This record gives sequence, C-alpha cells and structure tokens, in this order.
Amino acid sequence: MIEALHFTFVQHALIAGVLVSLAAGIIGSLIVVNRMVFLAGGIAHASYGGIGMAVFFGLPIFLGASVFAMLAALLVATLTLHKRHHLDTFIGLIWAVGMAIGVIFTDLTPGYNVDLMSYLFGSILAVSTFDLYFMGALLALIVLVVIFWYRPILAVSYDSEYAKLRGIPVRFFYTLILVLSALTVVIAIKVVGLILVIAMLTIPVYIAEKLSGSLWQMMFYSGVFATLFTLIGLWFSYTYNLTSGASIILVSAAGLGIFLLVRRGR
Amino acid sequence: MAVIEIENLYFAYDKDIILENINLKVEPLDFLAIIGPNGGGKSTLLKLILGLLKPTKGTVRVFGEPPSKQLPHIGYVPQNTNVNTDFPIKVIEVVLIGHVGGKKSLFGYGKDEIACAMGALAQVGMEAYAHSRIGDLSGGQRQRVMIARALCAHPKILILDEPTSSIDIQGQKEIYALLKTLNKTITVIVVSHDISVILEYANKAAHVNKRLAFHDISDKRRTFHTHGNEDHFCEVELLQMLGAENCEACTNDQSSAVWKEKP
Repeated sequence: MIEALHFTFVQHALIAGVLVSLAAGIIGSLIVVNRMVFLAGGIAHASYGGIGMAVFFGLPIFLGASVFAMLAALLVATLTLHKRHHLDTFIGLIWAVGMAIGVIFTDLTPGYNVDLMSYLFGSILAVSTFDLYFMGALLALIVLVVIFWYRPILAVSYDSEYAKLRGIPVRFFYTLILVLSALTVVIAIKVVGLILVIAMLTIPVYIAEKLSGSLWQMMFYSGVFATLFTLIGLWFSYTYNLTSGASIILVSAAGLGIFLLVRRGR
Repeated sequence: MAVIEIENLYFAYDKDIILENINLKVEPLDFLAIIGPNGGGKSTLLKLILGLLKPTKGTVRVFGEPPSKQLPHIGYVPQNTNVNTDFPIKVIEVVLIGHVGGKKSLFGYGKDEIACAMGALAQVGMEAYAHSRIGDLSGGQRQRVMIARALCAHPKILILDEPTSSIDIQGQKEIYALLKTLNKTITVIVVSHDISVILEYANKAAHVNKRLAFHDISDKRRTFHTHGNEDHFCEVELLQMLGAENCEACTNDQSSAVWKEKP
C-alpha cells in the first residue's frame, strides 16, 4: 500500500478524496438540516445533462456539469418560491429531464466511447491537477461563506419564517445553499459518481447530527467522518480492485451500522 | 398613538375571502386575545400584522407605519415550536437568532449579545438551560425559549400564535403568568383556542371568523354571566357571545337579563 503512494494518480485520488469529503461534510449538513436531500438529488442527476452537452460541444466536463447544475439549482430555488405545492413533481421532472438530455447528447457525439459508468459511479483514479484546483477552490469558497455568514445561515436553516421577520434575506441564503450544493455535487461526482453522491452527502451527516450540539460541530464531524469513510473506501478499492465510489459508500453504510449498534448498546 | 391600527382590511387567497372588513385598534399595554374557530383567519390576521402577507384591501399600521418598518419592535413567537427538534442547536443560539439582522457582527457572537440573550433567558426562567440542546427540552420549556428569543430584540409588542397548544396545564399557567408579568411593559397579543386566557389575563378580546368582533373585557364581572354563584364560565355560551358582532354586554352598560351581573 505504501509504495502505491508514489504514484501520482494515487496521490491525486487521496487529495481529491479529502477535499471532496470536507466539502460534502459541510454542505451535506446544510442540505440535511434544511431538508433539501431530494432537491440535491434532483440537481445531482440533472447535472448529467451538463456532462452530455460538454462532451458533445467538446467543452471541459467540469465546466459543463457546473454550469448545468447551477442552472438546475437556480431553477429549483425559483420553483420552491412559486410552485411550492407541486415542488416534488417538478424536482422529479428536473431529475429525469437532465439525465435524458445527458444520454441523448452522448448518443449524438460521434465516436464517443468514454465509459458512461465513470460518471455514474465515479472515477477518482482519473483526477487531474486542474480537477484538484477546482475542488480546492470550491472548498475554500464554502468554508469562507460558512464562516462569514454562519449566523444568518443558522437562522435561515433553523427557522426561516423568523429569520425573514428579522430582516434576513432568506431567498438569497436559500439560493446560495442550493448553488453551493450543486457545485459540491459536481466535484463529488468525480469521487463517488452521481448515483451515489446523495449517500456521501447524508450518511456522515446523519452520524454527526446525533453527536453534535451545534451546527458547526455537525459540519466538523461530518467532514471528519466523510474523510474517514472515503480513505478507508479507497484502501478497499485499491487493495481488492473494486469500484471506488461503491467501496466508499459501503464503508460509510457499514460505519453507520456500527455507530447505530454502539449507540443502542449504551 | 395606537400600537396597532387596522382599517377596513380585506384579505383573500385568489377568490377565497379569508378576512373581510376588519377594524381593530390595539392600545399601549393592552393584552389582546384573538380567538375564533380553526380556519377563521386568526393566523392570517397575525401574518398581516407582521407584514408577512399584504392586505388585498385596507391598511395595517404599527405605531402609525407599515409593519415592515416596525419589525424590530415586534417580538413574534410562532405557533409550532415542536418542529425541527432534531436540529443541532443550543438554547442560547436560538435566543441569539433574535439579534440577527439588527447588528452586523460577523465571526461569532459579541459579549454584549450573549449577556443580553442570557438576560432574556433569565426573564423567562430558563437561564439554567442555556447550553442544552433545544430538542432535549419539554414543549413548555421550548415555548419559554421562543419567548426569550422574541424578548432579545427588546420589543414593544409581543405577538404569540397559540403559545400553549402543545403544553400541559401546569406549563400553560406558567406561560400565561409570565405573559402577565411581561404585559406590565409590553403590549401582548395572543392567538388562542384556550378561552380561559381571556378571562384570566386579557383585557381585550377579538373574535375572528372572517369578520372580527371586538370586546373590551377589562371589567369581566359586568361583562360575563356565570352559572350560579360559582366562578365558572360556560365556554360554549362565551364563544357564542364573543362571536356575535354586537353583544349586549358590550353595547349596553346595564347588564341585560341574559348576561346578568355576578352577585
């Protein structure tokens, strides 16, 4: 295992794993306390449309997926404000239409034979230096936003109606959380793939929520657990030649199972 | 100046008229009880007073201005405090939310803000729980914390939506006793199903069921009739009377035969 660390692609995989885990821990906490898990799922799958279009037009995949996911996030934010009664229907629609667009555009791309599976289940061993910069920049942005606006974000997440009465721009923060979720989903696709991204955003958060007395503790513990699960998952993946994303998620699920057993045992 | 003045107010969702021709004047240090059936428009009226909804017709004035201008002076305690109990947040942090929007202090909480929040918790008798998780408290304790959060901004008006709906009887009495104390310096408006609150604590009552019937009940002896000599009011009769647009007890200074004076 140690000699594997000399390979650049393994180093990249580890750095990407840690960066994405920390981002997922923080944003996952916000998604869970704001009850946006289904919304995040919709945005994650819709971003596949961006991947397909990027492939078709020969653009960088990250760029296509990011722009598309952000548009989906803004659309979801608008729908939440105006179509609240049919929100779940519309999220389902965005979820499916985004994926369909992605599939059609990859069909249309001449000579395109990149494995679709790598986007559905992640391709952490193919992380480029540019990808790492992108991930690092996004993590830095998320940390800055959360430190700078911790109090209004806490107020909006805990009780949005009251926050509105105190003059906090609730819509702005709601949209901000959705856009950051969209970008986090995009970098997490590289690590665990878009099908499994929701598990990465929620399993460590669920454990952290039970252990935390405050939102920042929850973000901190979520990041720690996500990193732990990702590194153990990568080790399994490397040692037994298994798909990295699925390994990470199964390790997370096992971690959750152990946590629940220990808690019950007490 | 009136604390709250509502004139010829109408409110409708699409074509469903929820409130019609509402007129209401709340004076300083009133303790107003808003009662009425479910779906009668009580919560809608509150949201109009808070500026969360805009009237279809008519005006709402708070200290002579539109509600949005006076929000810092309004303390609001929402109806259901049992939502989001899984949320990892400490009591003191919930109270500190009351400060947000006022001061723009970034990076953590100021010492003065924490002192103020602790003071608000002490006012409601919850300072010992400052570092408990909000989900670990009972319904009544949580309600007190929400009142502390509203007090944090030093409001001139305190508005509570069904403050005792999920609390045991002892807890209810404590909440109302607390409101009575706060009422010495703050105007209090309570939406409640609980008619006993009107008799014990409120000096004004407004029955809302699309229309509003207003009653000055500061002199309860003359206003209400009791069964026999006991201090017991029949809630059904009471509701009927308060719901009437013009009740004799309010329009007629002499008690009528129906609403006779308590011996």
